[in-house]
Amino acid sequence: MAKGVLVDLTKCVGCGGCTVACKLWNDMKFDDNNPTVGDKAKLSGKNWTVVHAHQVKNKDGETVWRFNKQQCLHCLEPACASACFAKALQKTKDGPVIYYPHLCVGCRYCMIACPFNIPKYEWDKTFPLVSKCQMCSTKIARGEAPACVSVCPQGVFKFGERDELLKEAKAIIAKDDKYIKEIYGEKEVGGTSWMYISDIPFKDLGFKTGLGTTPLPTYSHNFLRYTPFVAVGWGIILTGLYHYTKRRNTISKETNIKG
Amino acid sequence: MENRSTKPTSVSRRGFLKMLGGVGLAGIAANIAGCSTDPAGGKGWMPQQYQVASSWPIQVKGRVPIDPNNPSIVRDDKKCILCGQCIEACEKVQTVMGYYELPIKDDITCVNCGQCTLWCPTGAITERDDIDKVLKAINDKNLHVVVQTAPATRVALGEEFGMPAGSIVEGKQVAALKKLGFDAVFDTNFTADLTIMEEGTELVKRITGELKKPLPQFTSCSPGWVKFCEYFYPDLLEHMSSAKSPQQMMGAVVKSYYAKQKGIDPEKIFSVSIMPCTAKKYECQRPEMNDAGQKAGKPNIRDVDVVLTTRELARMIKRAGINFNELEDAQYDSMLGEGTGAAVIFGTTGGVMEAAVRSAYFLITKQNPPEALLELTPVRGLNGVKEASLEIPGAGKINVAVCSGLGNARKILDQVREDIKQGLPPRYHFIEFMSCPGGCIGGGGQPRTALPPSDAVRQARLASLYTMDAKIYKKRLSHENQEVIQIYQNYFEHPMSELAEELLHTEYTDRGKHLTAKKKA
Ligand code: SF4
Ligand code: SF4
Ligand code: SF4
Ligand code: SF4
Repeated sequence: MAKGVLVDLTKCVGCGGCTVACKLWNDMKFDDNNPTVGDKAKLSGKNWTVVHAHQVKNKDGETVWRFNKQQCLHCLEPACASACFAKALQKTKDGPVIYYPHLCVGCRYCMIACPFNIPKYEWDKTFPLVSKCQMCSTKIARGEAPACVSVCPQGVFKFGERDELLKEAKAIIAKDDKYIKEIYGEKEVGGTSWMYISDIPFKDLGFKTGLGTTPLPTYSHNFLRYTPFVAVGWGIILTGLYHYTKRRNTISKETNIKG
Repeated sequence: MENRSTKPTSVSRRGFLKMLGGVGLAGIAANIAGCSTDPAGGKGWMPQQYQVASSWPIQVKGRVPIDPNNPSIVRDDKKCILCGQCIEACEKVQTVMGYYELPIKDDITCVNCGQCTLWCPTGAITERDDIDKVLKAINDKNLHVVVQTAPATRVALGEEFGMPAGSIVEGKQVAALKKLGFDAVFDTNFTADLTIMEEGTELVKRITGELKKPLPQFTSCSPGWVKFCEYFYPDLLEHMSSAKSPQQMMGAVVKSYYAKQKGIDPEKIFSVSIMPCTAKKYECQRPEMNDAGQKAGKPNIRDVDVVLTTRELARMIKRAGINFNELEDAQYDSMLGEGTGAAVIFGTTGGVMEAAVRSAYFLITKQNPPEALLELTPVRGLNGVKEASLEIPGAGKINVAVCSGLGNARKILDQVREDIKQGLPPRYHFIEFMSCPGGCIGGGGQPRTALPPSDAVRQARLASLYTMDAKIYKKRLSHENQEVIQIYQNYFEHPMSELAEELLHTEYTDRGKHLTAKKKA
């Protein structure tokens, strides 16, 4: 069954451990231009997850600090994957929406398609690829939680079957009136594998709200269904071109060095 | 280094053509030499220093939160391996992390003690480096740059230069500071003695009932401890002595008394301190620590401008290429440079208590304490909580307690709270609290001689301070410090005078509203 993660934002203290765990497991470089924690935290080609700090007012009008861990939400029906005719993005049965670099042609349709503005382009690389959280699919395949989830010292996350987590989330917010009565990710664009509960309205914490509950792929599928073979055909050609260009760049680089 | 799964792949012309004629996407993938068909993402845990992926290590525990604006400590994510040693220090030793309810309010609770910097195996957490500010001041010809050194740095600094733990380097430290270009080198021992005069007088006044403040009196010289009390025990703040810490007394005295005696504009003085402590960096930035400035009508003048830890001083000496081990001993500068044995033991747990008792005895009886009282053994040593009682003629039996490490402080504080709740008379007159295990000798800014910090190192440093008290310093009583006597004659008149209250005493902040303390931790 499909796995999910339940994030209880009221428990996060902003230590950023989860962002470091992501770098360590995935061997991602640190991004000197974009911090991973704080009010300037920003997802980038190198930052698959960040913990964004917000100063907000709580129900009683007091100013409080809250942190929002951002990463790919791993939609149940991912718009990114359906926009990708090269099948570089694929939803697995375990839950993660994963990216295969060898299939990617670099068209960046996924970036436009994602309603949460998640996929990033590795602008600083010679052969840039699209870059985003993989929900540690290799760990999940072994039955383990994603890296960020395993490291949190405050018990912010719960990893498990999405259906179970949803039930649990509902029980938590029903029981404890500090929570707002909403689970982000339950229905957004058809539901996501990552779900959040919070004591502060999600829009105040930088979440995209008002996305509707209709899965976005239902729109794009229609288009793709008309031209499946063409799409694959283009995929082949673009992939080929992509590697060919890469090769030429490498050769010209080498020549330059020699010259 | 490239992401392992996306190594730049190249393709030959033949490969390209073959690919175009290929059968499908899977075929293409299989045909591209060296191109992995794996998804993006990790193959294993990669602490940068090992450079090989492996499975998820069980010892990965997470870490403490650190506010990017923390004045005392900073963390380099590139070095952090999430080992959780900082949690160990913060939660188990200092009982800070995990002792407040979630959600947090509007603060990342930290008492700035820096114990985490001593435990972090990779050096990811360090003190906030303020060396450049000091170098800039030294190079500014318009500034008169003074420096003070805490009692505990002189028995630890040598370790940074390969000397055995506890080596006494008082004279070399002074020499190094003079070589670095400071205009005057003062001893925090001087204001430790001054603190004893103020705090001892306050204690006597509490005992006699002249001062309407409750017993027991708490010591106030450890800024990590003070902030801890403000966070978790704000209801007990009236027990806190109003005397400032020796570092802040020195700051205020330098920009008032010293400035006046020397005829220097306080605005032209830059005041630096060398401390075993990271919380001192935070303490000197507390908004109320501008008393000399207030007095001069220029509230933007800080009493202490920059605090450097023992480790930072070592780095400065190394950067300047000074051969520390070969330095000839030098002397502190006069006016604020004299210190006694009572002052130097401020650097260890139990020391403030012992120093205070020596002078309280004098303040009550007008006589010096007997020899036996100069070795108050029950309050010595590294035990987390210590107690003693002594007879002082005219005051009767005085009960004291000493604790170091904030986890130990809780034990005593919970007891004080409980006694008050039950209406019991106070069981102690005076309690010394030190934030760091062992006191300042084990301070968060001291050399990382053993990892995690070991009692053997603490013991060696502690022993050296007692040696200095018993064998090296000429005087052992704060009230006999000649320069302290002079400052009262020339300036303050007597302890707790109006001027002394203005410059040498302070007030505290209830920080209870920034967190919800856990009921039973
Ligand atoms: S959040 Fe964006 S990138 Fe992630 S699965 Fe959904 S559409 Fe794709
Ligand atoms: S590890 Fe946990 S507490 Fe720390 S920032 Fe991430 S979610 Fe928050
Ligand atoms: S002790 Fe240091 S390396 Fe270990 S988790 Fe804390 S900051 Fe990271
Ligand atoms: S400085 Fe002290 S209180 Fe702050 S995080 Fe480190 S150990 Fe905890």
